[in-house]
Amino acid sequence: METSDYELVMRSRGGDDDAFRFLVERHSRTIYRAAYRITGNAADADDVVQESFLRAYRALARFDARAQFTTWLHRIVVNCALDLIDARRRREGRIDDGEDLGQLPSRAASPDRIALGSELQRAIETALDALTGKERTAFVLRHFEGMPLEEIGGILGTQMNATKNTVFRAVRKLRQQLQPFTGTPV
Amino acid sequence: MNHVSQEELVLCYYADPGSEGAQEHVARCEECAGELARLAMVLDRVTPAEVPEPPAGYEAQVWRRLHWRLRRERRPAAVWMKWGAAAALVVVAFTSGLLWKKRSEAPDRAVTASSGEAANAEANGAAGRDRILLVVVSDHMARSERILVELTNMTPNGGVDITAEQLRVEELLASNRIYRRTASERGEDSVATLLDELEPVLMQLANGPSTLTADELRGIQKRVETRGLVFKLRVVRAGVDATPAPPLQPNI
Repeated sequence: METSDYELVMRSRGGDDDAFRFLVERHSRTIYRAAYRITGNAADADDVVQESFLRAYRALARFDARAQFTTWLHRIVVNCALDLIDARRRREGRIDDGEDLGQLPSRAASPDRIALGSELQRAIETALDALTGKERTAFVLRHFEGMPLEEIGGILGTQMNATKNTVFRAVRKLRQQLQPFTGTPV
Repeated sequence: MNHVSQEELVLCYYADPGSEGAQEHVARCEECAGELARLAMVLDRVTPAEVPEPPAGYEAQVWRRLHWRLRRERRPAAVWMKWGAAAALVVVAFTSGLLWKKRSEAPDRAVTASSGEAANAEANGAAGRDRILLVVVSDHMARSERILVELTNMTPNGGVDITAEQLRVEELLASNRIYRRTASERGEDSVATLLDELEPVLMQLANGPSTLTADELRGIQKRVETRGLVFKLRVVRAGVDATPAPPLQPNI
């Protein structure tokens, strides 16, 4: 029978490196995918995987035995990814708080290029990239991962109304950016 | 008839709890049903980009890199060396900035004391280091601000798990001490004062329990709010960010 995450965490706490290695090997791919969806590129996702396991290791002593290890780890991953996006945007000199779509340069594809599916996918990625770190994270968790708003709020540290607003802002911006593809008014 | 708002339509699309009333309305209202269909036309097309599969053996790779970092971290001497080096770096950066500032305040001295090219290269180097330092401090304040905002937005009902936040706070606390000391030595009073106010709050969070009771959370939120820490961080950071990059001296 496969050793449970809980047992591996307990053994890791006691200094058993092999136990922590099992946890790393068991969850690396899953959290890589989660990190990729938030950061949007492989190099950043890989950095998030490393940093998340490091933070998790440092916090093992505080892991609450009643919690699911995967939920706990996921929360760390999302926070690491958010930190990374924020740092990257600061380096690039992009504003990340309270920015209005009207202030962003529209990078949406022109209508004559909308027939191609790959163009649409690229436009979606560009539109996601134009969101703030928090908006992107909230949208990815709600839309792609189907996570309930309450849980998203728990991860982002926001109350229900603020979480709803974050998702709503993300949807509004995406609709505006993707308008050439859908032809629907915003 | 009151139609559903755009926000409610988004909740309807995801069939989120609390949207039942709006869903009932949409079922009866042609106009709102049309709006929801238009929203769905966009959101249905937003599918996740294909995540490239990591290479075979990725798990082992992750572990190898991680294990190396863990072993380094567990050596106590290495920890102190790391912080010592970081502190030294910051002190050098601050001092360089100070020197640059003094130098720019007395341009005559700088020009006459050295032959042009060497003086300009040195001034450019110091200016660059000063800029890097400002970016580092600004980044520290932005991260602190974000975590305080997150904490003040948490709902104090039952036990709140702040394990992930504590990890971030521990890192911030270590940096905060270094930046506060050096800012004070450099005479950057507004930065030093703010970091001095921030430190006890960070310390309380880092050393406190990882699951907060409603009262404990309320206490922390009150402490942050009564001191106006978030606002002060925003103001001081705006000042730091607005500091213009010094003009580069051409190497003649």
